[in-house]
Amino acid sequence: MRQFRLFFRKEMLEMGRSYKWLWVPLVFLMLGVMQPIVTRFMPEILKSAGNMPKGMTITMEPPSGAEVMAQTLSQYNSVGLLILVLSLMTMISGERQSGVSQMIFSKPVSFVSYTAAKWMSMLSLITVSFVLGYAGAWYYTAQMIGPVDAAAAVKAGLFYLLWMWFAGSLTLLVSSLLNPAAGIAFVSLGAALLLSLMYGMIPEYLAWSPGALPQLAITFLQREGGDTGKAGALAISILCMAVFFAGAVSMVKYKKSKI
Amino acid sequence: MSTDIPWNLIAPLIVIQLILAVVGLISLYKAASTRGPKWLWVIIILCGNLLGSVAYFVIGRKDAS
Repeated sequence: MRQFRLFFRKEMLEMGRSYKWLWVPLVFLMLGVMQPIVTRFMPEILKSAGNMPKGMTITMEPPSGAEVMAQTLSQYNSVGLLILVLSLMTMISGERQSGVSQMIFSKPVSFVSYTAAKWMSMLSLITVSFVLGYAGAWYYTAQMIGPVDAAAAVKAGLFYLLWMWFAGSLTLLVSSLLNPAAGIAFVSLGAALLLSLMYGMIPEYLAWSPGALPQLAITFLQREGGDTGKAGALAISILCMAVFFAGAVSMVKYKKSKI
Repeated sequence: MSTDIPWNLIAPLIVIQLILAVVGLISLYKAASTRGPKWLWVIIILCGNLLGSVAYFVIGRKDAS
């Protein structure tokens, strides 16, 4: 436990020094805030940017608050996920390559507490960033578009947060497996996108898959969701996170013995 | 063009943007070396607004070790 706390403090310090604690939350906040603003001014933007023929008018149904929140979430699913993976990709592989981990493991330290500290610091970075961005999106939506059903928004946010945790755990696992940063980003982003894409194609068969989480969150916002497999998707995602963590621990151990 | 822009709502975006750019530039100034020439990163941070600073933090920064 003492080791864990020590490592955790080290990870936090490192994330601060590499400005991750600054830019990741800020980018998430910006992503969240941008969507309501762009939606609100879409008619004006089209009017000034498009070269539309004279006399043509576009009538757009003003979207509801819940819809804009759902759009924000799908924005997070593309750009947000990319930012997340890019900021976390070198967490384990970077130390392995720079030789820091060799230095650490020359002492009798527990692999579990080493990996757990990385995992926990990753989760806290994700949580802070996402909650900040989501709260910003909510505030702006309420200010500019219209009220959002609080219960649905909170539920959707929690589901989405779990999806981000899942993606983060996946990235950490891949980071323990591979060395090149680009490869890590490609594999973990590809796997996460593939999961959510496959759910989109055959939702009946993959209702339990972690890839269902973002879609479930969006459905919560759009209407009272009567979707099946919510509990299944939750349980499987948490299970997957545990498996990924165990995998990362054993990979850290395995790669250490090869040095 | 008589749309009144609610600056009080848009201002935070500009502030975030400024913070990211300024911190990126400070970090760039302090860094001993970066991936790629420094002057190029200055241009990228200043011109490519949100993505520019993010790209610098992700790709340009070499972790001091």
